[in-house]
Amino acid sequence: MSTLQWLVMLHITAAFFLVGGSVAAGILNALSIRAERPSETAYLLRLIRVTLPVIGVGAAGTLIFGIWLWHEQRYGIGTFWIWASLVLWIATNALGAIGGKHQERARKLAEQLAAAGDASSAELRALLRDRQGNAMSWLAGATTLGILVLMIWKPGS
Amino acid sequence: MIAFSRPFWPLFLHVLGAMTLVGAVLAVVIVSYVAWRRSDLAILARTAFWALVLVGIPSYVVMRVGAQWIYSKEGYSGNGDPTWIGIGLGAADFGLLLLIVTTALAFWWKRSAKPLAGRIVAGLSTVYLVLLAVAWLAMSGKWG
Repeated sequence: MSTLQWLVMLHITAAFFLVGGSVAAGILNALSIRAERPSETAYLLRLIRVTLPVIGVGAAGTLIFGIWLWHEQRYGIGTFWIWASLVLWIATNALGAIGGKHQERARKLAEQLAAAGDASSAELRALLRDRQGNAMSWLAGATTLGILVLMIWKPGS
Repeated sequence: MIAFSRPFWPLFLHVLGAMTLVGAVLAVVIVSYVAWRRSDLAILARTAFWALVLVGIPSYVVMRVGAQWIYSKEGYSGNGDPTWIGIGLGAADFGLLLLIVTTALAFWWKRSAKPLAGRIVAGLSTVYLVLLAVAWLAMSGKWG
């Protein structure tokens, strides 16, 4: 295999880690909202932590191998779709971090309720269904989708 | 609509479906292994089952439709196809069997709450995740 083939393979593998890990985290988050008891909600939200190294390796790998490919394939310094992807990559990480903080707040409250009788409360339900908090995670997913569109479409090249 | 000159939509659908499928199977792997220690948590079996039904199977369909679409569009016929396409198609066909069996076992796990069912789901979903990894490595690295 050539250097280019290796780089493409590693870049795409990192993208599988990033998207796969994010989807797994999204599934755990979505099902934690529908859990009946706070202990179940807390457990699923805690499991999201398992996906974080996968997402982290994916985020770092897409950036490192992506920039290396940029150099290897001799795309110009002003290539629009690469810069747009980089902006979306930063936005994805920032939005994902904000969404993660919201999930952490929900997890802490769910753990408190689980320790005090394991009965749900209006506050927990409101926090789990909070539109602003959840919107950050959905927006992170949308920006990831945007990166995938740009990577496959490569407008202007 | 976008990029008529290159097969954007089939490739986009194929890659998106494959990445989402990996995410669904990863979620199943996580909850089914955790269930070895916490077999009292029914939510883990429910999560495995619904992850496969609501995300895994639809993602498989999107991935497979995109694959067949791009296969036809790029003029492959089955005669002398590159190795990486053979690996991808083999993984997709065997993967469908694994996906159906794992989903059926996840349903059994959800209904019965038997730890054995969860352990089989853990094993099968791990095998499927490895198979998916081999497929994406072969296809992205154009093996052969």
